[in-house]
Amino acid sequence: MKVELYNFIRAAQKMNRRQMLKGTAAVGAMAAMPGAAMADGHSNLRAEILKIPGVGAGSPTDADWQKVGAMVLEPTKANVAEGEFAGVELTFMGLNNQNLHNVLFRGFLKPWEAYTGARINWIDLAQADYNARLQQSIATGTVDFDIIEMGAPFEGDVCGRGLASEMPDWVKDQIEMDDYVGYLQEPVGTWEGKTYRVSIDGDCHNFNYRADYYEDGDLAKAWADEGHSGDWAPPETWQQVQEQTKFLSGKTDPLTGLPAHGYLDPLKGWGGFGFYFLGSRATAYAKHPDDPAFLFDPETMKPRVNNAAWVRAIQDVLDVIDAQPADQINADPGTTGFQQFLAGTGSMLSWWGDIGSSAKTSDSSVVGDVTAFSILPGSDDVWNHAKGEWETLSSGPNYAPNMAYIGWGIYVMARVDGDEKKRKAAWSAAAHLGGKDISLWCSAYPSGFQPYRQSHFNIDEWEEAGYDRAFIEDYLASEADSYNHPNAAIEPRIPGIFQYYSVAEDELAKIYAGQYGSAQEGADAIAAEWEKITDQIGRDSQIKLYRASLGL
Amino acid sequence: MSSEGDLLHTVTTEHISATRIRTGRAMVWGAAGLFVLLATLQGFHEFERISFGFETWRPVLYAYLIWATALCAAQVIMRGEQGKRTLFVLPAVLFVVSLVVFPLLFGLYISFTDWNLASFDGKKFNGLDNLRQMWADDFYWNALKNMVYYVLAISVEYVIAFGLALLLNAQIRARKFFRVVFLLPLMLSPVAVSWMIGKSMLEVRFGPIARLSRELGWDSPSFFGSPEIARFMIMAMDAWTFIPFMMIMLLAGLQALPKEVMEASKVDGANAWQTFREVIFPLMLPVSVTAVVIRIIFKLKLADIIINVTSGGPGGATDSVTSFIFREYRDRSNVGYGTLLAMVYLVLIVIFITVLLKTVSRWMERPQ
Repeated sequence: MKVELYNFIRAAQKMNRRQMLKGTAAVGAMAAMPGAAMADGHSNLRAEILKIPGVGAGSPTDADWQKVGAMVLEPTKANVAEGEFAGVELTFMGLNNQNLHNVLFRGFLKPWEAYTGARINWIDLAQADYNARLQQSIATGTVDFDIIEMGAPFEGDVCGRGLASEMPDWVKDQIEMDDYVGYLQEPVGTWEGKTYRVSIDGDCHNFNYRADYYEDGDLAKAWADEGHSGDWAPPETWQQVQEQTKFLSGKTDPLTGLPAHGYLDPLKGWGGFGFYFLGSRATAYAKHPDDPAFLFDPETMKPRVNNAAWVRAIQDVLDVIDAQPADQINADPGTTGFQQFLAGTGSMLSWWGDIGSSAKTSDSSVVGDVTAFSILPGSDDVWNHAKGEWETLSSGPNYAPNMAYIGWGIYVMARVDGDEKKRKAAWSAAAHLGGKDISLWCSAYPSGFQPYRQSHFNIDEWEEAGYDRAFIEDYLASEADSYNHPNAAIEPRIPGIFQYYSVAEDELAKIYAGQYGSAQEGADAIAAEWEKITDQIGRDSQIKLYRASLGL
Repeated sequence: MSSEGDLLHTVTTEHISATRIRTGRAMVWGAAGLFVLLATLQGFHEFERISFGFETWRPVLYAYLIWATALCAAQVIMRGEQGKRTLFVLPAVLFVVSLVVFPLLFGLYISFTDWNLASFDGKKFNGLDNLRQMWADDFYWNALKNMVYYVLAISVEYVIAFGLALLLNAQIRARKFFRVVFLLPLMLSPVAVSWMIGKSMLEVRFGPIARLSRELGWDSPSFFGSPEIARFMIMAMDAWTFIPFMMIMLLAGLQALPKEVMEASKVDGANAWQTFREVIFPLMLPVSVTAVVIRIIFKLKLADIIINVTSGGPGGATDSVTSFIFREYRDRSNVGYGTLLAMVYLVLIVIFITVLLKTVSRWMERPQ
């Protein structure tokens, strides 16, 4: 310490030399304590992870995934001895969408396999094949996998039948479950009070839009010249989305110079997952703040998909079909997200957080610098199902973010329970993939997963990784505001939910192709099919499970 | 030469003792008894009439295998060399019964249940409900209607295939090369075709065919946007894959044509068209009919290209029965109803092919 500094502190703190020495010794001891050192090392670790390969350095490769996997092994080492699982073979079933999910897991788990001695066999599935494969395994009693990547909507099918293994307490500690955002905590991931799920994702649809459209002088002038009300600004309600989409037809995209388009609707099914996109249009109309339900009546399971709110959402799609890109009738959500929006076609899109995490880090994206985010648009009025009338809320537009799919999780199957070594190995692998630090990397880079922990919303970490502060603040705010929204529309975790969605997709395809006289007629057809499915699966049990999932 | 008695000339005349016959019978009936007993027990257990039973049907399967083995062994024990001859056929018969007849009967049973994989209650017999549902199911009838279009398209495929076969049969330069080249599409999986052509080359934004269309003045090319064009594109992709199959059959037929007849027609002064109309086409009828019938059978299974490219859209315009059943079964786990649809389709195919073969049988014989 410099003498003048010593004199200054002594004078300022009114300390004698002895007290000063005590103080410096204490500071030294604190600095030497392992806890403090670890905290420092830990924050360094998170920063280091985020540098692989670096924002703007192109898409990550298998070598990057392995590096990340090796860097986050410490929590595993704390619970598992080296080579402890030698001879254990596990089968892992998951997706291979966009070459992500299982493809990443392989890289992440390679260092884990090398350390523990376990070996993992992989079952890769395309998104559209996932539901069928899982249902068949369940129904025919041929569960041939030990670990599964699965969405919460299937918990009714899997946990409800006792097919999943209950999570041990050490896993809860290793993955720091308290860090999950509120809506992913119980009851999600639990069934009859037992915990089954390691969350690796937190799903909701947010609203992605092209900021450059609203900075374009020509478009602003045309908007005013055509006599539209209000400023040329990002839409806040679906009514504005509709108006802007119609307005943009025939204009020029400021980035690509190709024809401009407004909102992109996926008009082709996607193995049931396409229904979420109509849901994102409908929730602001259908999810009343005083009513937890928006898909079915909780007392009777009578579908609401043909009430005025859903019909209005379907009609909205029909009204702007002509304003969408050519061949949109053949575009599924994969097309709208990755081949259209990220490639520069269209200016507004509801999608999961993948768009935000890919916009700046995927090789195929051209919109990284011009994409902005918000929660899903609201509506000037909302359907009050109990009263059977449209209502304008005194608080302003009604917002109801669509918590579509509630995110992916890792589940261990009950078939490992008979073998303690295998059980521990399976849970250790799941915990490795669901760890706190690895999840930060997954949120920041293309992975198929989006932020789902409180710790993911630390802007400084993202900025240090190379993200533009304004971009990431905007993106994370759209996610956090959706998760924490008091009127969020949370998907029911009932068996067969994808059957409802799949049959709806078929009917929607007919509606969009103009084969029904009206949107109402088409929606009635969906409702009739849903009634059949409910009767087939068992109305009473569906009512019970639906009410449970709504917290009633 | 005698046409009666043992035409296969048994070489041994071994004497089969009564004990051997009794042993053989005991083996067959004992194994059969075990099989029936286990099957009955398990059946009662499944329908919750009795509490004891096996967790799965696997022991019944083992009993069936024991019975099948005993049946085969007993043939030799009871009938000596005559029995050995039976063994040339019997295992195949048992195999077919196990893997075709039994699943068919089981499928028939499933098709009269309301089995939905998501239902905790499993499958329940629901009488004719599935048939009634099918009767009112627009998607199924729409898919059947599309199948009529798809099958009719074979007539155009046939004309093209015949033309190509004639070309490749002519004395053209690099004939062998062209024969191989024209066969290439058949070697591709329809799944690959649907991705390479349907999802890539015909992609609206960056697909080369779409770009070319724009260059040629089609402002916003859309190959799967309108029902008619989408259906045509599916037909075209399927045709591109399978025309080589018809072509190769027809080419083989052309090469087998008797040269004398062709030369005779030349001597008689027939021109090319007359030779084709009066000589080649009639002689080729049996081969043509065979090629068309096999192609129809292929076509009735059309699904992969549709599933990959359009998922049956727009609005069901390209849906085939198989692709619809695939969705019903796979996406909705609706096993009972999906199986019924498949069964009905099977019956329709059997009737259609029987009538078709009966109708065309008179052309199947090559004129003498």
